[in-house]
Amino acid sequence: MNENLSILIVDDDPDILDGILMILESREYHLRTARDGLQCLDLLKEEVPDLLILDLLMPRMDGWGVIRKVRNDSRYADMPIMVLTTVIEDASRRRYELETGQAMDIQAYIEKPAKPGELLDMVEKISQWKK
Amino acid sequence: MEEMTSSLSVIAERLGKSEVFQSLPEKDLLEIAKFTHEDVYQDGQEIFVEGEPANQMLVVERGKLAIEKKIQLGRHSTPRNATIAYVNPDQIAGFSTLTKPQVHSASVIAVEPTRVCVIDGYELREYLAEHPKAGYEVISAITSLVRGRYQSATNTLTYFLSIVSHELRTPLAAVENYLQTILGGFAGELNQKQERMLNRCVIRVTDLSALISDVVDLARMRPEQIQADFEWFDPGEVGRESIEDTRLAAAEKNIQIRIQPPAEFKPIVGSRRRMRQVFTNLLNNAIKFAPEDSIVSFKAWYEEDKLIFLVEDSGPGIPPEDLDYIFTDFFRASNVGDSPGAGLGLSIAKKIMDAHHGDILAENLTGKDGKITGSRFTVEIPLNLATPEMRRREWLPEG
Repeated sequence: MNENLSILIVDDDPDILDGILMILESREYHLRTARDGLQCLDLLKEEVPDLLILDLLMPRMDGWGVIRKVRNDSRYADMPIMVLTTVIEDASRRRYELETGQAMDIQAYIEKPAKPGELLDMVEKISQWKK
Repeated sequence: MEEMTSSLSVIAERLGKSEVFQSLPEKDLLEIAKFTHEDVYQDGQEIFVEGEPANQMLVVERGKLAIEKKIQLGRHSTPRNATIAYVNPDQIAGFSTLTKPQVHSASVIAVEPTRVCVIDGYELREYLAEHPKAGYEVISAITSLVRGRYQSATNTLTYFLSIVSHELRTPLAAVENYLQTILGGFAGELNQKQERMLNRCVIRVTDLSALISDVVDLARMRPEQIQADFEWFDPGEVGRESIEDTRLAAAEKNIQIRIQPPAEFKPIVGSRRRMRQVFTNLLNNAIKFAPEDSIVSFKAWYEEDKLIFLVEDSGPGIPPEDLDYIFTDFFRASNVGDSPGAGLGLSIAKKIMDAHHGDILAENLTGKDGKITGSRFTVEIPLNLATPEMRRREWLPEG
């Protein structure tokens, strides 16, 4: 298990952030949070996390916008992204493809509400994959 | 506001270009021009307010107006304006001034600096009442205008629903998230009673969440939308995904899903996503009503011109008097008791099958003694459906 994994969690709903933090704090991860896409990009500039957990429907810049920016920036090419959202996967991927003409390059897609076990397993799996 | 004066004949000419007055002779236009003045509205200025008395009709000369309806769900969500139509030059706003109860049916806002002819509603009503021929022309033009708005209402509804579903789902997701966190023991240990009650909360909230999806889905589900998604797919794969969708529900009641596929699944045309929804709905339904530790059968075979899927359970069956109605929106059979659900799953499945020009049938299984031993749902998918691309090619000249 990679105990020092750094994770950036982005969600505009403070209650969702609170719940996710509570789950992830059970492991010794290094956690940071952002409330919208622009704040997320600012925090990415400071430090590239080992994993980005990203909501899609957010003010200022939505999650699709973040994915598009990040995937066109060599600094973040290897950063795994886990989408955590209420939007169904099909619709979400189709929207991204329509807007960008490219497939959505993400490593995991979880529809809310995430079961704590599922979330932790997925985080572990991605961190293993990164090594 | 800036007032301007143009001569009667100039105003009459402008009115004559508009969608509502274009078939009136000059004589009428000159008369109407007598109670018309010109005005300019600035970008963002609200001109008519939904629900307020309607005593003016506007003909746009230059610029653009938006017709908007306000929607707000609950006290905590932000009120939003949904634009239901735009009014461009030579089009009118404020037809409500000619239709009882003379109250604006929507708000009108200038979306750019807009110059308009403002017709006094009282005078216009009086003039048209005294000149029936002109009155007839104007009212028929307004009728066709309203008809167009009525058609675009479907699009508006879809837009409303996408907002509704998001607004309803967002707080629900937060509640579900907290419940899962607490149940996972991440906020301290729970005693048995607390755990049982929280588990019930999860079940109820999950039902509510499914209901929201269903209501939104049902209202959106038009045949042409479903048909636009038609593609080639492997029906066996979709069947397997549906079994996966319902695996947890089946495991909870220790129900075994026994499958009987054809020797080989061949690709068919249809809406892959929607077909999965049909199978998942039928399997969920069967699991919901089947007794614990029982078997639900899921079979498929090909006939000459169709693919058949069948789901059988050994539940209480469907009361014979309800059989004709079970595919109706919001219908719940009289014997379902406390089983959760709003009764939308089957009517959604029926709409999907109709869009596939297929069929969905329900019947009861009976034992030798004539007693009901379960229910059987049969889905028939025609094998001659075409993808949008195939349909387009059919229209192209040969060679």
